[in-house]
Amino acid sequence: MVDSNQKDFRKRDLFYVVPLWFLALIVPDADDLYSYRRKEFKKREIYYLGALFVLPLIWSDPHFHHLMVLAGIYAILALGLSLFLGYAGQISLGHAAFFGIGAYTTAILTTRYAFPTFVAFWASAVTAACAAYLIGKPILKLKGYFLALATLGFGEIFLVIIRESTGLTGGVIGIFGIPWFSIAGFPFDTYLKQYYLTWGVLLGLFLYSKNLVRSKMGRAFLTVAASEDAASTVGINAAKIKIGVFVIGAAFAGFAGSLFACIMSTANPEAFSLNLSILIVMMVILGGMGNLYGPIFGAILLTWLIDILGKYQTWSLPIYGVILILLLIFFPDGIGTRLGMRLIYLISYWKKKKRRDRGKL
Amino acid sequence: MTSWSLIPQLLPSGITIGAIYALVALGFVTIIRASQIINFAQGEFVMLGGVITFFLLKGLNFPYPVAALVAIVIVMMVGFFLYVTVIYPLRKASILILLIATLGASIFLSNTSGLLFGTLPKALPPFSGERPLHIGGISIVPQSLWVLGTSFLLLFFLFFLSHRTLLGKAMEASSTDSLGADLLGISRNLMVFLAFGVSAGIGAIAGILITPIFFTSYNSGTLLGLKGFIAAVLGGWGKNSGAIIGGFVLGIVESLSIAFIPSGYKDGVAFAALLLILYLRPKGILGSPFIDSRRW
Repeated sequence: MVDSNQKDFRKRDLFYVVPLWFLALIVPDADDLYSYRRKEFKKREIYYLGALFVLPLIWSDPHFHHLMVLAGIYAILALGLSLFLGYAGQISLGHAAFFGIGAYTTAILTTRYAFPTFVAFWASAVTAACAAYLIGKPILKLKGYFLALATLGFGEIFLVIIRESTGLTGGVIGIFGIPWFSIAGFPFDTYLKQYYLTWGVLLGLFLYSKNLVRSKMGRAFLTVAASEDAASTVGINAAKIKIGVFVIGAAFAGFAGSLFACIMSTANPEAFSLNLSILIVMMVILGGMGNLYGPIFGAILLTWLIDILGKYQTWSLPIYGVILILLLIFFPDGIGTRLGMRLIYLISYWKKKKRRDRGKL
Repeated sequence: MTSWSLIPQLLPSGITIGAIYALVALGFVTIIRASQIINFAQGEFVMLGGVITFFLLKGLNFPYPVAALVAIVIVMMVGFFLYVTVIYPLRKASILILLIATLGASIFLSNTSGLLFGTLPKALPPFSGERPLHIGGISIVPQSLWVLGTSFLLLFFLFFLSHRTLLGKAMEASSTDSLGADLLGISRNLMVFLAFGVSAGIGAIAGILITPIFFTSYNSGTLLGLKGFIAAVLGGWGKNSGAIIGGFVLGIVESLSIAFIPSGYKDGVAFAALLLILYLRPKGILGSPFIDSRRW
């Protein structure tokens, strides 16, 4: 039947991705040069990249830089969740826990054991991935509301453990004085440098996910989301696919948590509550499911929204709740998706009109 | 062995909090029996019941029973309002969208009540005296007896509603097969609308009962709602009797756990129990009418 090296997903694939991931940043893909896949690299993407690179230089407001750093971190989180939620169709309300695991791993390794931040960065992702494997093995057989509730329960247990084990995590107060992120003695100590760091990591993870969703495993995500029964009929191990995508999403969250700890230089339990999990899910929903640009735009949009609402002091949270509900009612399949459909309709209408007018003449 | 000697003293408080969890779980089950919607704002109804009664009693000097009744009516209005503004526009949306929308409603309700009624924790006076009763060396607050009595009354009320009235049967029909119910002339939307009112009323009663014993503040609703949901899953998803049993089991387990592990871990115990029951027996202690047939 199926040859062992043709299996859809191998655990060691998770290890290759690290060097491949760096290579993907430098070396162009070989079959991009003479296959039609080359056309998939759109001009639009170069514009996005250019805008990302130039924007902080033009608009040199520290508050803007800080906001975009936060948006980048949330975007990494939302990107990881969008693989789980948008592609594999599973609900998770405990993603903030993996973010927290990443942040606390970095915090403990750098402040207690004086590890370099770059090592702690990778250790955070590995720890979050291991936690996801252990927790995902039992609970991923659940579906729908029950999976949502089980992941939520995991998030709450994580918070309780963080608050109570004061010896390791500093309890409610948290851990202070985490050093700046630094690579080979070069510290990322200004908002501008942190901006390039965060969005650089996001770019790498984005390219990784872009390749992932077009791979055999990525196709399997979509099949599992459509129907697990149908997926197992065509030879996809649905349980393995689900745990694989859960682990990858958690590793993304671990990277994001590590960056968050280094940039905020603190880690305390308030930052990893249920509200954050809801926020990440909102980013994925608003960006549009099954789309990799979506969560990034959703993250930027919601980070800005929260910053603007912060000016209204005590009224900010009620207004936030109302805006959340209104966005869900009017854009249940994502702002981009809905507007894009509208745009396609308008363009076709204009073209028709043009043709009609030409006919008249 | 000091921890074992604590158990008789912890049991009454476990049963009391268990009754509250059972009431919250009944609220979830009422909506589930009318449609397949989970309302995560259920805990906010409990909080609103307590906080509005406190406001009417202390702010506007209403007599206690009148304040309680008015609060229940107001919270039922909030329930209807929630259905009309949030659930009805999203009636065709997916599970995830509904879940996040009700969580958004819960954020809105809790923070608005914090703005309107203040963020300090509130405590109502007990219904009948504060002198604890001593039964065989165990002291019991009289309020606990009120909680127990009321929750059993409500259980009977819901039993009659769902098994002995046309309305209850119509609700169950619209949950089991909404298309079939539509063909028989049962309005599915009206049934869910009424179920939201009933479940908000149950939540408000739970809030009024709990506020004399435990302090109620604007943000205590979310955790209560989650634990009520856990109780509903624990006892048997979609069964009134399951909700009651799950509530008591959860309350007793949680308060007995104080004897053995540090009390800070108390909230974790409920979620650990949830993960265990989901893993070992997802249909709950009493079994569920929904899970086996739909392969959840």
